[in-house]
Amino acid sequence: MIRTLLWLLGGLLLGGAIHIIVILTLPSLAEETVWTRIAALDARDRVVVLPDVEPGEPNPFGLDPTLVYGVCQVDLSEGPAYMSGTMPDAFWSVALFNEQGIVTYSTTNRDGIGTTLDLGIFNAAQTRLLAQQQLDIEEGLLVVEAETDDLFVLLRLAPPHAAMRQRFKDELAAVTCSSGPSS
Amino acid sequence: MRFVLHLLVMIAVALGIGFGLSYYALTDGRLFGAARAGVWTAWPDIGTTMPNPYTRSHIARADVLQLGRSEGLQFTATTDSAGQPLDLACNYRLDGHTPMATFWTLVATDPEGVNLARKGGDIAIRSSNLARTNDGAILIHVGRHLAPQNWLELTGTGGPFSLVLTLYDTTAFSGLTSAVEAMPTITREACS
Repeated sequence: MIRTLLWLLGGLLLGGAIHIIVILTLPSLAEETVWTRIAALDARDRVVVLPDVEPGEPNPFGLDPTLVYGVCQVDLSEGPAYMSGTMPDAFWSVALFNEQGIVTYSTTNRDGIGTTLDLGIFNAAQTRLLAQQQLDIEEGLLVVEAETDDLFVLLRLAPPHAAMRQRFKDELAAVTCSSGPSS
Repeated sequence: MRFVLHLLVMIAVALGIGFGLSYYALTDGRLFGAARAGVWTAWPDIGTTMPNPYTRSHIARADVLQLGRSEGLQFTATTDSAGQPLDLACNYRLDGHTPMATFWTLVATDPEGVNLARKGGDIAIRSSNLARTNDGAILIHVGRHLAPQNWLELTGTGGPFSLVLTLYDTTAFSGLTSAVEAMPTITREACS
């Protein structure tokens, strides 16, 4: 009897170990990730407005149908990334995703930045250089330090009414996004 | 013979616990990374820069563009307040208050995330375009059958669905406690 219980206890412990291994390895096992699907959009150094969510159609990115989304992929290995544009006077937010699909930075227009989007993304070495050179940073420029070089930026705009969607999309498409030596 | 039997039992228990617990942790997730408020489930850690391992696995499994922590939080309900799974054959009524947020949206999706709203109708309910009761509470009808006031009209013949409430720029879970005091209740109405 005791022997059977010990075997069961062994099974429980082994099950716990399997559980921990599954949870820890699952993120690295996925073949198709948000990153690969964003990469397929050809959004390198430019803002791509994501298509609207339609009823009855698949929604692979899990988007909110009332919002307008723009995405831009950047690579900091050659130089910092820079994003600038004027946003409409409504709720908008910006999020920085890494290759694992984890948000490493996010903010909204309520953080005192109003309708001006002026975002500089630097990796650790570039931030250090920026501090050493004691360069004057333009007022209003949002400096974000990223831990990895490969990133994508997601902009969310919330049109108060469906009739404003097209205007919001146009304003989103006019946002500039660049990375590397030219920026 | 006894040894082999014990070994088989141990392996069965290990596999059952290992994979069963993992599946539970990433679907329901109540004792792991997910938080419940009434019938609504959210993953409060999902938009942080260092999510816990369970939330990290949930992100990989869900594979969607989640909200950053400062952008908002998404709640999902798959059952009504009586514990019955949400069924497209029925109408539902949402009553109550929502946590403080700049605005929120409500959509109905099938288990694959496909939006179930009627083509040509409102695809979602937005907090700013809502008729409210005198005390500021919300009263929303969701379903295929005609309903008064705020109505999210759905299509489809039946089957399970989810309600997704997305709060933008919200204070939910930002305090010292993980409790969310106010979330709407979901009451089943007529079915056909």
